[in-house]
Order: sequence, then structure tokens, then C-alpha cells
Amino acid sequence: MSIVSELAVILLNGLQQGAIYVLLAVGLSIILGTLKFVNFAHGALYLVGTYAGLFIALDVTLSSGKLQEWGYGEFGLGWGFLAALILVPLFVFAVGLLMERFLARSFYDRPDTDQILVTFGLAIVVQELFRVLFGSNSLPFTQPEYILSVIPVSGPMQLPIVGSFPRWRLWVIAITAVLVGIVYLLVEHTDFGLVVRAGTRDAEMVRLLGIKISRPYLVVFGIGAALAGVAGVVGGPLNVVNPTVGMNILVPAFLTVVIGGVGTITGAVVGGLIIGLTQATLIGLPSVTIASFTLNFSPWSQVGLYAIAAIILLVRPQGIFGNEEVAP
Amino acid sequence: MSLLELDDVNAYYGESHILRGVTMNVEEGEICALLGRNGAGKTTTLRSIAGATPPNVRSGTVSFKGEDVTGKPAEDVSAGGISLVPEERRVFPNLTVAENLHLAEVVNNKSNTWGRSLTFEHEGMSTEDVYAQFPRLDERRDQQAGTLSGGEQQMLAIARALKQNTDLLLLDEPYEGLAPKIIEDVEDAVQRISEDGTTILLVEQNAAAAIKLADRAYVVDQGQIVFDGTAEELREDEATRERYLGV
Ligand SMILES: Nc1ncnc2c1ncn2[C@@H]1O[C@H](COP(=O)(O)OP(=O)(O)O)[C@@H](O)[C@H]1O
Ligand SMILES: [Mg+2]
Repeated sequence: MSIVSELAVILLNGLQQGAIYVLLAVGLSIILGTLKFVNFAHGALYLVGTYAGLFIALDVTLSSGKLQEWGYGEFGLGWGFLAALILVPLFVFAVGLLMERFLARSFYDRPDTDQILVTFGLAIVVQELFRVLFGSNSLPFTQPEYILSVIPVSGPMQLPIVGSFPRWRLWVIAITAVLVGIVYLLVEHTDFGLVVRAGTRDAEMVRLLGIKISRPYLVVFGIGAALAGVAGVVGGPLNVVNPTVGMNILVPAFLTVVIGGVGTITGAVVGGLIIGLTQATLIGLPSVTIASFTLNFSPWSQVGLYAIAAIILLVRPQGIFGNEEVAP
Repeated sequence: MSLLELDDVNAYYGESHILRGVTMNVEEGEICALLGRNGAGKTTTLRSIAGATPPNVRSGTVSFKGEDVTGKPAEDVSAGGISLVPEERRVFPNLTVAENLHLAEVVNNKSNTWGRSLTFEHEGMSTEDVYAQFPRLDERRDQQAGTLSGGEQQMLAIARALKQNTDLLLLDEPYEGLAPKIIEDVEDAVQRISEDGTTILLVEQNAAAAIKLADRAYVVDQGQIVFDGTAEELREDEATRERYLGV
């Protein structure tokens, strides 16, 4: 493999990993920017998305957990991946609406610390609930082979320059690009988006213009949740599925938001790509041996995220596309 | 019945009692000035009328067109025909001039008016009319509002209020921080709006400028109304002016 194709693979892996973060960060960032709501339960929505996707797409046999003990170990609908891709966002959108209505809304005027405590608490409750029900063993989320029985989505694909690359990872990039594009159009080119953008800067003034901002807020929350759900579905087959996936993804998702700048979609995209590429580079770099000392980069991938974030925030405390007035 | 009536309004920021029994009326069609020193309670009065919180109105009533609007949410008060042009203008700096103006129309969307009946004496101005009245905004349609000068931002804030269906315009220190030449432009705009029949409650520290336009005036001090009369009477009442307005 040439150095060029190796770099190209790292780049594509970075885009794919970044895509998952982008899906999470777009919602997180708009919710934080518009509603000034710090949602540590955003990862829990990813968790719900992953499990819901798994159970809708496949037949699963649980190997631990209460459901298995109670004799409901045969689980899942087996409706295929496309069904999951359509139903999960709708389901998690609804979960988001409930979360806004019954939890977030009463915390908008409370301090950040209260919001963090309640959402972090919720995230732990959800995680433990899933652990009790579905067990802590990892479940296999096999990649779908075909969508609609004809479009191949798994296995390797031959690309120019890159060579062979997992097809599913390309799909993740493509699905993300389309969804983020739709959200971008919604925010930049509709009245709904206009209210959201104005509300990001001055929610009270929006209300003083006679606009009921509570409804756009509700929808923003739902959209953010739905994107996290999609991230869970498309990311599921790439990682192990267990109750900790939500918490694990929370930190990189927040780093993405602060790097890109709170409240901007462009920022979330760029931030996600930076995080994804950093991770993929550190994992993908070959180890270097100097004298008898071997330096292997991949264990540093997590640390690298913090380092990159720290450097960017030192230069631009408000994030790359953030503006000074909206403090994270 | 006056268009706007405040009856013994007591408003608080947390535990601090700011408005202490404010009673005042604004008659249909007039320009009414509310004057007073910095910190007297002018902005608090306007916010209490507009339904903005804080402050919290703990007792007393605000009624508009005979209807009690005390404690209604700001969006409902606004949609009912009261527009506030706030102290710091508060145009949306990240939106273009055109988007800032369009926002005032969103309120008429079905999704927003659901369950509300909206009737107005004064329909909001059309975009064309607004641009005709404010040619400088016309030239800057696609410019981000944050890049406008102070005077232009003030014009935009007023224009935005005019695009709403407004029967009562609350102006909070519209001349603040503006050059004399620009103040004249704003005065002209206020005059025209008034001539078109919109009632105006004009808050100013700059008493001389406000009295020039106003039919009647109130003076507020430490959250209480200390003068109530015609503009003419205030002009002649040197004691009040010296004591409460410093002019
Ligand atoms: N958000 C607030 N919280 C607490 N006190 C406030 C707040 N805003 C204004 N005040 C106090 O209320 C009083 C009246 O303020 P304000 O209505 O803004 O005066 P002005 O006449 O200059 O508009 C002042 O003493 C001010 O310090
Ligand atoms: Mg004031």
C-alpha cells in the first residue's frame, strides 16, 4: 500500500468517525446555543438510538440481563436496516419532545450546574436501566448487507487511490452529509430557522416580537434528539453495542461542540471532522521505533482529542465559528 | 377608557421593590412621554407593560384596550398590539436587515397564532412601505444588522416594530447615544408614526427632546409618578424639571 493510499484511508476513516460526532454535535450545539440547555443526556439518546436500531433491524438473542432471565431473550423485530433508519429518528424525535416538555423546559431558567446534574443523572439512569434489561454483555450489531435487497451496503468497496474501503463507512458519511444538509437548509432558509437563529442571540426579543418561541424550542430539541438517534443507528454496526456507548460518546461530542463554537452548524461539522481526523490519524499512524524504544500512537487517540481541543480553545476561546457573546 | 391604563402597579426585581404604585394612562393617538433620571424606573415600567420578566408585577393591573394584560407572557402582549423598542435596540446582529424585518411577520404564521384571535386597528406596515420610509435600510437589506451604525440600528428597531401589527409603540430611550443629526431623523420617524395614528409611549432621559414631541408627560422618580400633566405644563414647571430631571 502506498503512503498516499494509506493517508487516504486515514482521511476517510476520520471523515466517518467525524460524521458520527457531527450528527451528535449538531443537535447538542443548537440545543445549547438556542435553548442554553446543557444536555448531558444527549449520549443517552445515542444509546436509545443504537438499541432501538438494533432491535428494529435484527433478531437478537440476549445473553444476559433481566429480559433474558425472564425468558424474553429472543428479542428484536428483524425488519431490516432501512426500517431502523426511518423509524429510529422518528422514535427518538418523540423521546426528545417528551424530554423537552417534561424535563428540559423547567430547567431553562436554572443555572448550568442544575442542568448538568439533572441530565447527567438521567443519562446514568437510562444507562443502568438498559444494563438491567438487556445485560451488560456486548450485543452484535451486524452490518446490513443490502438495503431494499438490492443496494449493497457492507463489505469492501474498491475506490481509486484509496484502494479497498469498507462500504458501510462510506454510507455513514453520505447519510450524515444528507441529514446535516437538510438541517442546514431548515435553519438557514425557513421561518422556523429564522426564529431559531434569532432566538440563539436574544430569545426575549423574539418573544417581544410576538413569537411563541416555546414551539420552535420543542422542535429544535426533537431534531437534535433525532440526529443523535440516527448517529446511534448508523454508528451501531461500527462499534460494540453495550449500555456504556452513550457515556463514551458524550465527551467527544461535547469537545466537537466547543471546538466548532456553540450554536453553529458549520462549527459542529468542522469540529466533528477535526475530532474524527485527529482520532483516525493517531490510530492509523504506524508505530515508530527509535533505537530500542517503540512509540505507538493509537493509545494516545483519546488524549489527542483533549490536546487538539485545548490548542484550539487557547487560540479561540469561543470555538472556531462561535461568537463571543454566546459563552459555551 | 384609555388605550393603556396602569393602576397601582408594584413591580419587583427579586426582593427589591422597584415600581411603587405606578398609576398612569396613555390615551389613544397621543405621544405620551415618561421621563426621569437614570435608575428612576422607566425601563421597568415599559417591561412591566410588555410582559417581559423580570420584573415581576406583584400587584396592580396593566390594562390595554380595556383588557387586563397583567402577567401575560410577552409574546401574547406583543401579539395583542403592544410593541416594545427596547433600550439597547436589540436588533439581531447575526441576521440581515431583511431577516430582522421579516421576523416581525413570522408572528402571523398559522403555527404561531393557533388558538388566538388577533384583531388590530393598525396593521403592520408592508416591507415596501418600511423601505420607502427608511431608505438607508433599503440600501442595506442584505447587510448583517450587527454591522449597522447606531442610528441605523435604531431605525431598524423602530422599523421592525412598525412591521408588527401595533396599536401602541413603547420606545425606550430612542435617542440614546445618537449624534444630534441622527436624533433629528429619529424624531421625524416618531412624528410620522404618530401622524399615522399609532399611539406612542416615549421614554427618555433627554427631557427637552421628548417634551418637544409629546402631548403629555409623566415624570417618574424612585418608582413613583411625581408629575403628571401636559407637555406645556411640564415646560413651565421649573421646580419639577430641576428636581427630577436636572434641566
Ligand atoms: N435586572 C435587574 N435586577 C435588579 N435590579 C434592577 C434590574 N434592572 C433594573 N434594576 C434596578 O431598578 C431600578 C430602575 O431601573 P430602570 O427601570 O432600568 O431605570 P431607568 O429609569 O434608568 O430605565 C434601578 O435602581 C435599577 O438598579
Ligand atoms: Mg432605562
